[in-house]
Amino acid sequence: MNFILYFDPGLGAMIAQAAIAAFAGFVIFYKTCMMYIKEWLGIKKKKGPDSFDEAYKNDQTDS
Amino acid sequence: MSQLAASYRDPSGFIFKENEIIKRQINPIFFEEYQAAVDAGIYTSLFEKGWLVRHKETYRDSFKIILLPEQIPFITYPYEWSFSQYKHAAQLTLRIQMFLLSKGFTLKDASAFNVTFYNGKAIFIDTLSIERYKPSEPWRALQQFEMHFFSVLLLSQKYGANYLKTLSSEINGKSLKETSKLLDWKTKFHPVIYPNIHLMAKGNSEQRRGGSTEKIPKISKASQLKILTVLESHISSMSISEPTEWAEYYDQTNYDPASFDVKKQLIRSWSTEINATKAIDLGGNDGTFSRELPESVNQIIVTDIDQAAIDHCYKTELTSQNKSRIIPMVCDLMQPSPALGFANEERESFICRVQNMQPDLSLALALIHHITLTGNVPFEMSAAFFTSLSEYLIIEFPDRKDSWVQFILDSKRDARHLFEGYGISAFAKAFSQYYHIEKQELIPGTHRTLFLMRRK
Repeated sequence: MNFILYFDPGLGAMIAQAAIAAFAGFVIFYKTCMMYIKEWLGIKKKKGPDSFDEAYKNDQTDS
Repeated sequence: MSQLAASYRDPSGFIFKENEIIKRQINPIFFEEYQAAVDAGIYTSLFEKGWLVRHKETYRDSFKIILLPEQIPFITYPYEWSFSQYKHAAQLTLRIQMFLLSKGFTLKDASAFNVTFYNGKAIFIDTLSIERYKPSEPWRALQQFEMHFFSVLLLSQKYGANYLKTLSSEINGKSLKETSKLLDWKTKFHPVIYPNIHLMAKGNSEQRRGGSTEKIPKISKASQLKILTVLESHISSMSISEPTEWAEYYDQTNYDPASFDVKKQLIRSWSTEINATKAIDLGGNDGTFSRELPESVNQIIVTDIDQAAIDHCYKTELTSQNKSRIIPMVCDLMQPSPALGFANEERESFICRVQNMQPDLSLALALIHHITLTGNVPFEMSAAFFTSLSEYLIIEFPDRKDSWVQFILDSKRDARHLFEGYGISAFAKAFSQYYHIEKQELIPGTHRTLFLMRRK
């Protein structure tokens, strides 16, 4: 492996990533629960026509 | 061949100009990584998604590989983007990293300068940022991402769009320690902002005190994907709300529908007559008049001081079915982006980039009264500025009876007499030093005159 690092990635910031991932795990769990509740209540959120995904819709040839 | 100063940072290769064509050289140090990405079909997949600028390999020997990328006519920098543009550039970076991780690759950096806008959409332009993923290694570019993107978006959301220009004064991104101080204390209880900004800022300062002898920590790919997913989801839901003068400008003043149509018609016919193919719309608001230019005009830069107007322009183009020919950018003509970076050569100034693009036509509609009366710029200086950009100029002159002109003059109070010289004859006289006035039409129902001028 040939890592060419030309900026300081911040070792402390990399150590912090384990904790950031734990928070992210919590957020994903919470959002999944909310999604199930909303689905059960019949609430659906639509993506706007100017959202990131809509912008590239015509370019997508693989997913 | 001349190496471009924008690419001095990465030893993997550099971009250069040869016969006015931009090319990219890969150095032997990066051959292995490049070949691995080629063999895995990474570049092809990203091209198909519309996420990475396309390239063709044109030359290869043991000393260098040369790529010919698709030529992007005009590069806008992060400090010239509206909020939605910034947000989509951030999302693009995260989506690419998520995609790469799934294929066993990673982005080695996450600079906002790796992204620009082409055909109306954000596109990643640093082909050599892609390398192989080392199992269980954290994303080395996460901190850079937070400094270039997340901090800027959060601060703009809290303090206003002016913070979108952060990278113009801090080219390496906003310090996380500073961002942490500037954000509301409540964000310390936010499950996304706390870890990505406050905790990371803290982690960095503690590491600095402790030295750098520690081993690189390990984090699973699944955990890294969780961080990216949550960050991307948070950024996609961000918005900015601030009052704007211009986003509904056309609804408010000076034009009834008939006059508005006459103005559109004049712009269309005059730009057809001069066979324009490239244009710049200065103070172009949301691009309403740029869209009136004939189809033969295939590149149009739309600039405006107001990020809300440019945001509106960007979003309108995003939802249109056709490939966009409009390049929206936030620009205050009283202080356009200067040249930045090492030796002032890393990022080109606004004027330099426009001159390199060589537009045939400049539009300056409902602009001159702001430059002259608000900016105090003499007519002669404005004319000299416009001539430096293009051969033709379509300029609208509102006379003293125009409601906007009256409003600005009234706001001058005691200094109003200093602007007694503001009038159509003084304007025409000053501009005649630099231009031939080819056409001149008073727009019916208004106090505004449209001029078509050709550089002398």
